Amino acid sequence: MPLAFLLVHAKPGRTGTLLLSWMLFAAGIAAYFYVSNARHRDNPEDRVMPTIAQMARGMFDAALRPAEDEEQQPGNISLGRRFLGSMLWKDTVATSRRFFFSMVLLVPAVILGLHMGLFPYVGVFFSRFILFFDKIVALSLLPILFIAFGIDELAKVMLIVIGVTPTIVLDTVNLVRAVPAEQTVKAFTLGAGDFDVAYRVVLKQIMPRVLNGIRLNLKAVMLFLFAGEMIASTDGLAYRIALLRRHMGMDVIIPYVLWVALLLFLVDLGMRMVNRWLHPWFREA
Amino acid sequence: MALIEIRDACVAYGSPPRPVLEGIDLCIAEGEFVCVLGQTGCGKSTLLRLVLGSEQPLRGRVLVDGRVHLHPDRSRGYVPQKYSLFPDKTVLDNITFGPEVGEFSLLGRLTPRFYRRRREFRREAFEYLRRIGMQESDAGKYPDQLSGGMQQRVAIAQALMTQPRILLMDEAFSALDSATRRGMQDLIRQLWRNTGATILFVTHNTQEALSLGTRLIVLAKESAASASRIALDMAVPEPGGEEDVPRLVRRLECAATSEKW
Repeated sequence: MPLAFLLVHAKPGRTGTLLLSWMLFAAGIAAYFYVSNARHRDNPEDRVMPTIAQMARGMFDAALRPAEDEEQQPGNISLGRRFLGSMLWKDTVATSRRFFFSMVLLVPAVILGLHMGLFPYVGVFFSRFILFFDKIVALSLLPILFIAFGIDELAKVMLIVIGVTPTIVLDTVNLVRAVPAEQTVKAFTLGAGDFDVAYRVVLKQIMPRVLNGIRLNLKAVMLFLFAGEMIASTDGLAYRIALLRRHMGMDVIIPYVLWVALLLFLVDLGMRMVNRWLHPWFREA
Repeated sequence: MALIEIRDACVAYGSPPRPVLEGIDLCIAEGEFVCVLGQTGCGKSTLLRLVLGSEQPLRGRVLVDGRVHLHPDRSRGYVPQKYSLFPDKTVLDNITFGPEVGEFSLLGRLTPRFYRRRREFRREAFEYLRRIGMQESDAGKYPDQLSGGMQQRVAIAQALMTQPRILLMDEAFSALDSATRRGMQDLIRQLWRNTGATILFVTHNTQEALSLGTRLIVLAKESAASASRIALDMAVPEPGGEEDVPRLVRRLECAATSEKW
């Protein structure tokens, strides 16, 4: 059959897989530069689709020029130190700090989910409230958060916590309830107490899936973080993108967006590696 | 005095409650090896859960060692058919889990004494590994790296490490192939003789019940809609007795299906 390679039983080879998986990237990049060049031929001042040279220059300035115009760096300073004094680095640190605090605040969410799933009274006490909370669109709370907590860091971190916590709590509850009853009964017959069952049996078993759940929610975390930074912040990657939007600075916005994607990809990869290292027994299809 | 005493127990599920077990009267003495037989869905596992304490009777009472137990605890070991091992722990950690949680709280694990005792638990666990016919090299494996038979061997060792007076086994060998099953039957019989534990063994395999137990209990329903009752309670005859094995099997199967014998 001539189109057999499109059917269910087709088995792409190693080279075919590699080529196919990169094809859309190559096509997207090629299409961008084709349209960009065409626009620049018509209007050399076009700012909507910067050329590769413009983007490289924009990224170079963002990554290797001092963050503030008034800061002067000596000429012989190393590339590494120039990067550490750059706008890109300072924005990355500011966003990462908020991201890190938000991730730390998800730990109580996991603990709450564990207790809700395992201890019936904790479950009935919290579940209706969390289910209701889960339905609130977190971004609609933004004005309330800024009024209640001011425009400082707390409001942005709270936005992420409110936006992602109910999902993590409910996800953890479901994971706890999916642990076979035989496991908890067995633990009790071996002499475990309630908290042994919670922390030595159930939490340990669900932890790799909880980490996977958090990994899958990374984009939601970043979405809320970016919303907060874009509206009320003086630094951070999203603040810079929002600021440059006013000046049509697409030559920096596009590399910034790619930089954020790269950072998220690295965080995701890091979490996957940590998960594999911490839970060598865990195998998931 | 009986070690396990069930008096007129009734278990019901659903709303309104639909009885699954009705009028269960049973006394099991210390050291007995009781096999519970019956068709699928006749309440064998429910009976076991009553003794385990994870199920409470709607009526009647269940006494283990003269006391009502509202929850599973260390006095009754448990080997289910599936999910008997903790997947996140190695074979060695699974076997030592009981003594460790029994002696050390979550914070107690941070003390130096815990590490001293753990060495002793591990020595004992290696001894159990040897008794169940496994190699020392298996100690570091995770449950999903073991075959079904090996997993059940470890589950038995895990349950026996806490030296329970009562061992409850729920279709523990039903997922195993016949050769592995025979090996496991020999093992459990040998362990029963050595430890003197009281064993309540749920199975739907008549031959297995006859070859393992000292006493057989058959649960059966009179009709599809009715609750199960004890249809037959008998001591396993000595080999070479009056009743030959095929005839005995037929008799037990008739009891399980409420047919007239």
